[in-house]
Amino acid sequence: MANITFVEASGQSTSVNLADGWNLMQGTIANGIDGILGECGGSCACATCHCYVDESWQDKLPAASESELDMLDNVAAERRPNSRLACQIKATAGLEGLIIHLPATQE
Amino acid sequence: MFSFDPYSPAVDADPFPYYKHLRDEAPCFWSPEAQMWVLTRYNDIVTALNDWETYSSASGNLMTELPGRAGATLGSSDPPKHDRMRALIQHAFMKRNLLALEEPIRAIAQQVFGQLKGVKQFDFKEVSSQFTVKVLMAALGLPMGDEAIVDEQTVRDNAVLMVQSDARTRAKGPEHIAAYNWMQEYASKVIEMRKAAPRNDLISNFALAEIDGDRLDDREVLLTTTTLIMAGVESMGGFMMMFAYNLATFADARKTVVANPELLPDAIEESLRFNTSAQRFRRRLMKDVTIHGQTMKAGDFVCLAYGSGNRDERQYPNPDVYDITRKPRGHLGFGGGVHACLGTAIARLAVKIAFDEFHKVVPEYHRVADQLPWMPSSTFRSPLVLELAV
Repeated sequence: MANITFVEASGQSTSVNLADGWNLMQGTIANGIDGILGECGGSCACATCHCYVDESWQDKLPAASESELDMLDNVAAERRPNSRLACQIKATAGLEGLIIHLPATQE
Repeated sequence: MFSFDPYSPAVDADPFPYYKHLRDEAPCFWSPEAQMWVLTRYNDIVTALNDWETYSSASGNLMTELPGRAGATLGSSDPPKHDRMRALIQHAFMKRNLLALEEPIRAIAQQVFGQLKGVKQFDFKEVSSQFTVKVLMAALGLPMGDEAIVDEQTVRDNAVLMVQSDARTRAKGPEHIAAYNWMQEYASKVIEMRKAAPRNDLISNFALAEIDGDRLDDREVLLTTTTLIMAGVESMGGFMMMFAYNLATFADARKTVVANPELLPDAIEESLRFNTSAQRFRRRLMKDVTIHGQTMKAGDFVCLAYGSGNRDERQYPNPDVYDITRKPRGHLGFGGGVHACLGTAIARLAVKIAFDEFHKVVPEYHRVADQLPWMPSSTFRSPLVLELAV
């Protein structure tokens, strides 16, 4: 379980407790947080769960896989060095306090 | 005494009261008839889909598996093998790479649904299966026209038959196995054609695709092609039947999308949640799991009832209401996790175009019969016949 804060493009901030193994995309959807679509269901195939990892956390997350990096080429909002796909980051106790920023658009 | 037998005609016809009981009273239930555990709550299904190391697909993902299939297709293999195969073919199914198919799909829809002009009553299955097979042939690059090696009707008949089970024994009968074998032979001929003279189509692409010198072997190409045909015909065809069923049943929803076709995508998402044709898939446990006071043992099979998770009031308020304004993100209509349906983008695109064109010809329709004959299948759910009257 980890408490994770999502900051929507509007500035709206929501903290949720996410069970181990659930990914951040599911965390937003199950809690009614806007800013993530997750069209492909979490199979790293659509780039509609694009998010920005807060810079203070950037070096603390497991690195993105090659297929995630590949898919990040397809995001709708600006791709930045801290861009990730939310479906590829799974909650663990180590992510307690993580802050994620959501882009204004996913398509 | 409550029982849940996914092989019974009662569950084919209406699984939802069973699901409700299971979610509330027995969220981790052992079905002696199916010889597997059944998980029905949204959270438990999502957790299982996330954890492919524990909930393995390598022993097959269909409730009733086909001979020799498990382990060789995308849906029935685990990472890293799964990821390798998926990387080779996924690209072709991405939304942006499907744009070129939009016009051909619309032309198919206009031709198929155009046949309904002036018709007062018809079986929707007739048009939906024609549309599905033509779209699939165009998308996969199956030989058509002068190049065709068999007629379209034969492909259609075998595709429809191979996904069914015997209505009485609930196992694959000789006619279903024969259809499946026919499809494998057909696919194998097409693969040879495309290997000899590759074109810019899906089968050519993944028969020859290479990543770091790695390629799919012949059996993988064959079974994956067969599965794409099966998934295309059954899942998309079945889903179109369910969507038409919903719009024929809920007149207000139909009037809304006919007046404003921009809302078709919302109605499609709600149908995927409300009564998706992909009702139940299977996994096998790689280790013991204790949940809701029950211990499921390593080696046991587990049914993930997507159709139930989608009606879980713990996730979706008023789940038994078909509400096209709901926008049900996170629904399980396409499964989820690493095995989430590969064809989500093409399915959404094709179904939207189909109903847009269908409604231009037939804007008003309703069901002729209250009781429908449901397909005998422990995995999928859709009516065998859907008579509509204008």
